Amino acid sequence: MRKVLVAILLVAAVVFALGFKVIMVTDVGGLGDKSFNDGTWEGALRAAKEIGAEAQVIQSYEQADYIPNLTKAAQQADVVFAVGFMMTDALFKVAKQFPNTYFVGIDITPPEGQTLPNVVCYIFKEEQAGFYAGYIAAAMTSTGKIGFVGGIPIPPVERFRYGFEVGARIYSTLHKKKVEILRGYTNDFEDPKKGKDLTLAQYAQGADIVFLAAGACGNGGIEAAKEKMVALVGSDKLVDIIDYYTKNKKGYFAIGVDVDQDYMAPGVVLCSATKGISSAGYYGVKAAWEGTFEGGLKILGIKEDGAGVSPMKYTKGMIPNIVIAELEYLTKLIKDGKIVIPDTEDKLKAFQVPSITFPF
Amino acid sequence: MSSKLWAFVVPIVSVIIALLISSIVIVLIGQNPIVAYTALFRGAFGSKLAIASVVIKSTPLILTGLAVGFGFRAGLFNIGAEGQMVMGAMIGTAFAINVAWMPAVFAIPLTMVVGMIAGAGYAAIAGFLKAKTGAHEVVTTIMLNWIAEYLSSYVVTVPMGVGFGTPKSPEIANSTKLPPLITVQATELTSGIIVAIIAAIVIYIILEKTTKGYELKGTGFNPYAAEYGGIKISQNIVLAMAISGALAGLAGTLEVMGVHHRFLGTLSGGKGFDGISIALIGQNHPIGIIFAALLMGSLRTGSNEMQFAGVPKHIILIVQAIIIFLVAADRIVRTMFIRKKKVKVS
Repeated sequence: MRKVLVAILLVAAVVFALGFKVIMVTDVGGLGDKSFNDGTWEGALRAAKEIGAEAQVIQSYEQADYIPNLTKAAQQADVVFAVGFMMTDALFKVAKQFPNTYFVGIDITPPEGQTLPNVVCYIFKEEQAGFYAGYIAAAMTSTGKIGFVGGIPIPPVERFRYGFEVGARIYSTLHKKKVEILRGYTNDFEDPKKGKDLTLAQYAQGADIVFLAAGACGNGGIEAAKEKMVALVGSDKLVDIIDYYTKNKKGYFAIGVDVDQDYMAPGVVLCSATKGISSAGYYGVKAAWEGTFEGGLKILGIKEDGAGVSPMKYTKGMIPNIVIAELEYLTKLIKDGKIVIPDTEDKLKAFQVPSITFPF
Repeated sequence: MSSKLWAFVVPIVSVIIALLISSIVIVLIGQNPIVAYTALFRGAFGSKLAIASVVIKSTPLILTGLAVGFGFRAGLFNIGAEGQMVMGAMIGTAFAINVAWMPAVFAIPLTMVVGMIAGAGYAAIAGFLKAKTGAHEVVTTIMLNWIAEYLSSYVVTVPMGVGFGTPKSPEIANSTKLPPLITVQATELTSGIIVAIIAAIVIYIILEKTTKGYELKGTGFNPYAAEYGGIKISQNIVLAMAISGALAGLAGTLEVMGVHHRFLGTLSGGKGFDGISIALIGQNHPIGIIFAALLMGSLRTGSNEMQFAGVPKHIILIVQAIIIFLVAADRIVRTMFIRKKKVKVS
């Protein structure tokens, strides 16, 4: 009897799985941004494969596509992903029409007072990821100038900046190193050319490390760093770059964003300030599948694997071990809530570097 | 063939050829073009929602197409429709936020007028510079586009910005929202399309039935001859730019009033530039432009459905590019043909 029951359940599960469908709607950045659209897709795909569900993606051209695309997705799918803060209004309008479909918003904050039981939104503590970028940049700069290139100055981008500035400030206070920060925005998330131009401009102003929090624009910034570095070293091989750096203690670096972008230019991308986008994509699908879906806003930080730094696969040889060790210690302090990285402009202004003594 | 017939045949044949060439690309990426085009067609016309989306997408395209087309007729290459659209939307929004007390009968037309004036004024800058200093409108309008883009992204993040997430203005007053013609789920088919069609008819009348229209066309055909004929060139350049800008400004304002109900930083999404290709496909004729915009709108809406068939949305950009190429190339061919005939006669 039991066997029969199990068999029936299995068949039912398979049939149900065949019907289970995940559709992700990208924002205008689209797939291939090597950033949050790709990150969500990776996580959603991983979860879909595990449970044997079908997964599809619809890319949007423009703002006016969001509502029709989300509607189309909701008509066919069990779980619909809306990726990117720009889809906030559209997501909530459509989700109201389809109370039986689950919606997952990535990088979306629900508009004031709006929560729907079928919509879960994930946002991230970018400031904690930005902190790593700032600390490492301040430790590694040889010119005493580091740059920040943002996309459109929306809250997630600004939170990266707050963390970046605080990270640099903590390092410069602890190690009495003067570090100046240059800031600029491309006002765009799509055009790599704009990221490249702005990055080159900051290098021209004396910065040697630029943090690119600008979506696909940042890819252009990484290209700029690579060009400058290759011109300096005379080769784009990782060994040569490391050799040059150990001899001369200078170079041109970029810092990636959202996902591990270190591979895009080994040795040139110093590290990446990462968000747990793919895990949000993964948990979104799993929760809907397992029936543990819960509407509302979830904020993921270092503690929840929602923010962090790439493993620095290529650059570990250049970054002094002491810096890595210090970061480990500071990570613990942030996890324990002993250091709170500011997430607003006002908190950033009021931020005082606490007295920190490393146990080593 | 008469030129009127040509005007119909060329774009239709171009579309067919473009779809055929693109089907080769679709085969190359390993998909079935018949499946893809069926999805394209279904996505554009297969449901109420699809048709509503096509109309929503086409509305601003009709107006930016008219803006550029009107400029072409007066001998001006207005690349600035993008910036004028943004300015119209932005200033229209600033007005629409503050007139909650006004009944809709006045608020709706007034908001449109404000948006049109904003677009007209912005375009008139380029017209004025051309008339007074001879600065080429292509250069000045491109520069003005950048100013509009960065100004709008400042406005939407600092003085007019609200809430978290997307940079956006507050919602416009209810009395300034365009009443929807049909509502399909979360999609509202706006009555903006009616305004756009009226605008096309008005432009047709101005160009074909009024003295001013004749003067503007005259300026476009041959400014020296027109001047010799007693037409004030500089005045007409400024006026033509202003009318062109007013149309682009209206496109932006209608997007706000009918679709988004608020101003967004990236609202235009390149529709100002799309106006150039639409004017070209529509042969600069107001009625032709309506059909060209509907064609573009349906291709793009349909392409979203095509993604389900495993064909990336970018295919439609190839289709679009080939259509434009063929329409433009056809003109070259025709010009050569006419020249040859003239040579024979002489």
